[in-house]
Amino acid sequence: MAMSDKDDIPGLEVFFDAARRHGAEPSAALMARIGEDAQAVQALAQRPAPQPTRRSTLSSQLYRLLGGWPAVAGLATAAVAGVWLGISLPEGLLLDEGESVYLVDVAPELAFDLAGGNF
Amino acid sequence: MPLDTMSDESDEVLLVLFANGDALAARALTARLTPRVMGHAYRLLGNHAEAEDVTQEAMLRLWKVAPDWRQGEAKVTTWLYRVVANLCADLRRRARGVALDSIPEPEDGRATAAETLQDTARAEALQSALDHLPDRQRQAVVLRHIEGLANPEIAEIMEITTEAVESLTARGKRALTAALSGRQEELGYGDE
Repeated sequence: MAMSDKDDIPGLEVFFDAARRHGAEPSAALMARIGEDAQAVQALAQRPAPQPTRRSTLSSQLYRLLGGWPAVAGLATAAVAGVWLGISLPEGLLLDEGESVYLVDVAPELAFDLAGGNF
Repeated sequence: MPLDTMSDESDEVLLVLFANGDALAARALTARLTPRVMGHAYRLLGNHAEAEDVTQEAMLRLWKVAPDWRQGEAKVTTWLYRVVANLCADLRRRARGVALDSIPEPEDGRATAAETLQDTARAEALQSALDHLPDRQRQAVVLRHIEGLANPEIAEIMEITTEAVESLTARGKRALTAALSGRQEELGYGDE
């Protein structure tokens, strides 16, 4: 139902009435196309969202092979401790300034000979 | 839910059902809204084929917006009228650049046909006159006097004040009267 204004111009209303009676109707083909669009949009919305794909790299395979983060964390700790032990000076074995004792017994048979005083 | 019982449901309810994958809701909305969208697009464009394209695009946008539709904010038809107006304005803007002279002249031969065709002739004459109005005036006049919407709803669709709507419709009607006054006798203008 059309609205009327206080300032309606006489005579125009017959044209508006005629326009309402002779509006453009959608064709059957258009209705079908719109129905197909609706189905397509619904089908797209109902489809489960794709899972994110994870690339399997050599490092990720090794990570899983070692047993995941607890094992890798243990290995990392052991590696750091090893490096630290390797580079740190064994201060407890220093006697005087600049003098050090090497306890590595590389030739125990020689030490025995020296002790015996038999050169 | 059967299709005929869906006729009692509001557009908004049907749109929510549509978003949930209800095929019947899609059919009900298509049947209910497409004729209105098509009629409005035709009145803004004056071209049947272009109006069909705009109608399909507007309905496609409705389907796509359905999952994100915020209930209770705007009426579905208000949203659709706005989308149609924007699509038509874009189309006319593009067409204006390439085919200013291609706007069809009023079909005078058909307008002088027998009295039984007078109604059709009036509708065609009005459409021709509407085609020559500025876009915003045409939209306001069509929404007010053919679609029959109230000024506040038109203001919401056009995103202007109700006073601006009244101004646009008043100027539009004056322009229509001027355009149609030369065809008074031919169309029975002022007979009724």
